[in-house]
Amino acid sequence: MNSPAKKMNIGLAGSFTVDPLTCYLSKELEEVELSVAPYNQLTQLSFNPENLLGAQTDTLVVLWRLEDVIPDFQNAQDGLDAFLATLKTLRDIYAGTLIVGTPPYPNVAEFEQHDLQQPQTGGLLYHTLLQQFLNDVQTVEGITLLNFSGLIDTIGQANAYDARKYYMYKNPYTEQVWKDTATQIARVISAQTTPAKKAIVLDCDNTLWGGIIGEDGMSSIEIGTDFPGSAFQDFQKHLLHLRAKGLFLSVASKNNEADVFEVFDSHDGMALKRDHISAWQVHWNSKVDSIQAIAKELNIGTDALVFIDDNPKEIAEVQERLPEVTCLLVPEETAYLPDLLKNTGLFDIAHMTEEDGKRADMMLAETKRKSVDQKAMSEEDFIKSLELNIKVFEVQDQHLGRITQLINKTNQFNLTTIRRDKNDVEKPHADEDTILMGMSISDRFGDYGLVGVAIIQKRQDDIWTIDSLMMSCRVLGRHAETSFLAKIAEAVETRGGKILEGAYIETPKNALVKNLYADHGFNADGDKWVIETSNIKQPSSDVALLLELNT
Amino acid sequence: MSDPLIALFAEVLEVEATTLNDQSAPDNVEQWDSLAAMHLVATIEDKFDVQLSTKEMMKMHSIGLAREVLKSKDIAV
Repeated sequence: MNSPAKKMNIGLAGSFTVDPLTCYLSKELEEVELSVAPYNQLTQLSFNPENLLGAQTDTLVVLWRLEDVIPDFQNAQDGLDAFLATLKTLRDIYAGTLIVGTPPYPNVAEFEQHDLQQPQTGGLLYHTLLQQFLNDVQTVEGITLLNFSGLIDTIGQANAYDARKYYMYKNPYTEQVWKDTATQIARVISAQTTPAKKAIVLDCDNTLWGGIIGEDGMSSIEIGTDFPGSAFQDFQKHLLHLRAKGLFLSVASKNNEADVFEVFDSHDGMALKRDHISAWQVHWNSKVDSIQAIAKELNIGTDALVFIDDNPKEIAEVQERLPEVTCLLVPEETAYLPDLLKNTGLFDIAHMTEEDGKRADMMLAETKRKSVDQKAMSEEDFIKSLELNIKVFEVQDQHLGRITQLINKTNQFNLTTIRRDKNDVEKPHADEDTILMGMSISDRFGDYGLVGVAIIQKRQDDIWTIDSLMMSCRVLGRHAETSFLAKIAEAVETRGGKILEGAYIETPKNALVKNLYADHGFNADGDKWVIETSNIKQPSSDVALLLELNT
Repeated sequence: MSDPLIALFAEVLEVEATTLNDQSAPDNVEQWDSLAAMHLVATIEDKFDVQLSTKEMMKMHSIGLAREVLKSKDIAV
């Protein structure tokens, strides 16, 4: 696999955890910088990719599953349309190369069986949705598809899905999937950044047919409909297919020219004919000489050549003297020969030249400027479309387990990172000068359950301190924190509080909330942030917001 | 005399093995976040050729606890 020399910046995003790709991708591609967006935030990503990835990238890979982006399979059509709109927005905004995976067969109850009868469920629905996705995505210019669903099919559902990892880490797939996906991604990227191969140089004996024409003669070489001749014939058919796609075929063989021509001209079993070959080098000179002569005749560089031979010594010599030529050795098992050029990534898709790429970039930058103006309101619209339902409540005994878990596990959206065991959580719970609050969230994609915790303590008179404030990363990007803070202020007011104060204690992981208090109207006062409860920033009126206090 | 389990954790967490011991846990090792936990599980399963249950994954809150889990599966580390 050729790796481009220039350092690449690749962003990864998924409707599920895609982080395991990073270690496999850094093995596949040299000189690569990887950034991963928080999982299941593809819509947020489409508004501001750089912000979510935390870096400038020149390629972005998006993997997704139908069951993650379609909230309700009864209205699968709407869900898919919404996702396609997200992809279009992302394509408009993002200036780099965008690679999007095809969605694999869903792993949810509706798709339990490969039912091909019912249009609303199972295999038929999947194939309909996949077909529609493939059709629609072709209409969005500048999206490169990655056959992720095909890769899962090849591995097999049973070997691809890992329920344990899904429930533990929202990572649905086995290491095998990640490894193969990284290989595929690397191929797609290399195909776009390295010059495409333009011609194939073929040996003849034991490469295009079985046996040696100069010794075995026309009657004994193996090429035709019976194995092993059929495998050579299938290989020739694949070469013809590549020729039809625009590749040059050429021959470099150590033989008498007349013998080789006779096979091409008059052997019935040959799929390749003399006219299919654009350059001939049949003589006893070295293959290196032949390859250089072919490149000259076809007026292309030797780096655009693929050389195929059954002799390891010839391969080694070419590799040594012309390292830019891609060399492939004919497999010892003849049955594998027809697949030699399949899935190599040498010829397929989107062979962009550097200039094509630059032109595309300039056009995209222009589109990007325009669409930012047009879409100034779209993040708000998105939040609105989520149909957020937020409940802020004083914690009951039944919640203490989950609360303790959040207090001890939340790293990123956590203002003070004060850890407490279950006993320590029960104490403030029972104390009347402490309010232990929880927040639960649902939206049209589903119910996220209890995802926020705050501990607020009366310090003196009407001053209350936010001792702890945290939120699970699964609900980031919805401005839920604004609702939480507003309801915390309201709860404090019911206890006679008028001033709310809080602190941000920096850890290596919580930079995300560094400006939380400032963004919500708090004023800095030494190490603390202070606000009158009546001045706190109010959430959007599109959120259905409820406060429940113990009476 | 290097401890294979400590060595594995050091490699995955990208820290010096000398900074780790059986008390090392997510709370005292900065690099040990939830992604690292996922990576640790994958690496342990691969290296010791075991399958961990979700209960066992959740139990492994320190290197010592991981060692106990593996011992209970007849893997001496």
